[in-house]
Amino acid sequence: MGMTNSAAEPTALIRAQGLTKVFGARSAVDGINFEVRDGEFFGFLGPNGAGKTTTMRMIAGVSPRTSGTLEIFGQDPDLHGSEIRGQIGVVHQQETLDMELSVRENLLVFGRFFGMDRPSIATRADELLELFQLSDRAKDQVEPLSGGMKRRLSIARSLIASPRVLMLDEPTTGLDPQARHLLWDALQRLKRGGTTIVLTTHYMDEAEQLCDRLVVMDQAKIVAEGSPRQLIVEHASREVLELRFPNGTESIDTKVLEGIGDRYERLAERVISWSTALILRAGSCDAQAWRMSSFGLRAGHSTSERRAERFADALAKSPCCDSRSGTTPNALATHRRLHARRLSAGVARLRFQRLH
Amino acid sequence: MLAVYRREWHGSVFSAFIEPLVVLAGLGIGLGVLVGDKAAAITGGVSYVTYIAPALMASSAMNLGAGEAAWPILARVAWVRIYHAIIATPLNAADVMVGAIAFIVGKVAFAATFFAAVLLITGIATSPLGALGMIGVSILTAFAFAAPIVAFSVTQKSDQGFAFIFRLIITPLAFFSGTYFPIENLPFAAQVLSWCTPLAHGVALSRALALGTPLTNIGFHLAALLLWGVGGTIAAIYLFRKRMLK
Repeated sequence: MGMTNSAAEPTALIRAQGLTKVFGARSAVDGINFEVRDGEFFGFLGPNGAGKTTTMRMIAGVSPRTSGTLEIFGQDPDLHGSEIRGQIGVVHQQETLDMELSVRENLLVFGRFFGMDRPSIATRADELLELFQLSDRAKDQVEPLSGGMKRRLSIARSLIASPRVLMLDEPTTGLDPQARHLLWDALQRLKRGGTTIVLTTHYMDEAEQLCDRLVVMDQAKIVAEGSPRQLIVEHASREVLELRFPNGTESIDTKVLEGIGDRYERLAERVISWSTALILRAGSCDAQAWRMSSFGLRAGHSTSERRAERFADALAKSPCCDSRSGTTPNALATHRRLHARRLSAGVARLRFQRLH
Repeated sequence: MLAVYRREWHGSVFSAFIEPLVVLAGLGIGLGVLVGDKAAAITGGVSYVTYIAPALMASSAMNLGAGEAAWPILARVAWVRIYHAIIATPLNAADVMVGAIAFIVGKVAFAATFFAAVLLITGIATSPLGALGMIGVSILTAFAFAAPIVAFSVTQKSDQGFAFIFRLIITPLAFFSGTYFPIENLPFAAQVLSWCTPLAHGVALSRALALGTPLTNIGFHLAALLLWGVGGTIAAIYLFRKRMLK
């Protein structure tokens, strides 16, 4: 165990090479390589079905790999699953709390599964309830807790045995924005405390906010790797503009959009235009905007890149625009949103390149 | 798990203890009067209540064991998914299944102790030692039903399969395992079938221990109960692993 890897960097807690998982004829994970270092916040970003959860399950030692090598703390999860699981905290995508127990009892019972003695479980449980702001609900049943509280309790529970690595599978899916931010804060505090965190997400803003390093997965493979900043610089379009369809319209002839961007993504009620270069040529901005608005298109959000903004402004001011629902894009293009959108554009472009 | 038990046990204990006692009172007093003197022919001289009481004890062990092995287990693999959280801890599949089955059997042991005490106080059970043996038989009977039904439950996605188990297996067994009338009254094929299932063995042992009659074929009865229990446990571990660790 681990002997073949005596030369391994001591800082890599998780190391996968050619990691593959096949279900029947379908490859869920197809020969991926990655490394999670001690103390970092590492993310798997990608759409549903990209293989993120399967990868997490293999790391957690509850899904035997089909081929490739996988080492967690220098050990093979197929051979040392129980020992490895003892040092990993897992938070599942779906709630797995015990609804028959109180908040605190959920932590106590779980500590027993890790073989901890009762006094240390009790101390640790109270610490965690405090950390996750659940102390005043300690005696309550789990069922009536809000989604955000349940998720915080799940994370607290996974930390009962003070694991070296915390694994979170889509931790904020289904939470409202405020609950997400509370959770992000808690995770950042944990990271500062030295816990290595591995998370999967399909939210760009989450990846951008939390991860030191991330890999982008798509169709069972890793398609990009780096820090969020690197990914934005290397892959993101310079400009992203969202245009809204007129009220009641579900789609629009894309011919209308000619000259606006390199590529469009049509969504319900709106279209997003991605561009890698400044396509809104100086001078044509107002004319283009007028043309768009004559078809009832309204400006939604845009990155704060100057020209896209100018275009959106022109669109908002144009005579045909429905002034009641006109949106000022500037106000909405917050710093956070901007980077999330750019990262999103980068990932979308990666997918686009792979498909064409 | 124990904490769960502490919370749940009032409800479960009430229904588990009281229901067979109600049946016993109803059948023993009502049907017993109706059967009257004819009972002696099949019961070997004792009253009908005395005849069916130890059998009902085994039968209620079956009911409780089977019930606890069905919905609560399915809930933990499919609905509230606690088992998904538990297998992410150092515990492995065998720990979880053995723990679950032991917990069910423990619950039945509680209920059986209460039942045995009632039989002892009412004089139906003739000796404390026999009553103690009856508790053991109830535990084995519960084990023989709980383990294979847990194995079934961990493969299910919804509770529809339980209708089949309870209507076609558990309920008929309560009638055709020598509980209310001797197995020898059944056609030969049905007798063979009955001896292939656990309850007949539990009933035979429980009754002999209560009435103080000689224990015949004790090895055969115990082996049958253990075979179902141990076989079911092995199947449960295998099927649980197959479902959870893929």
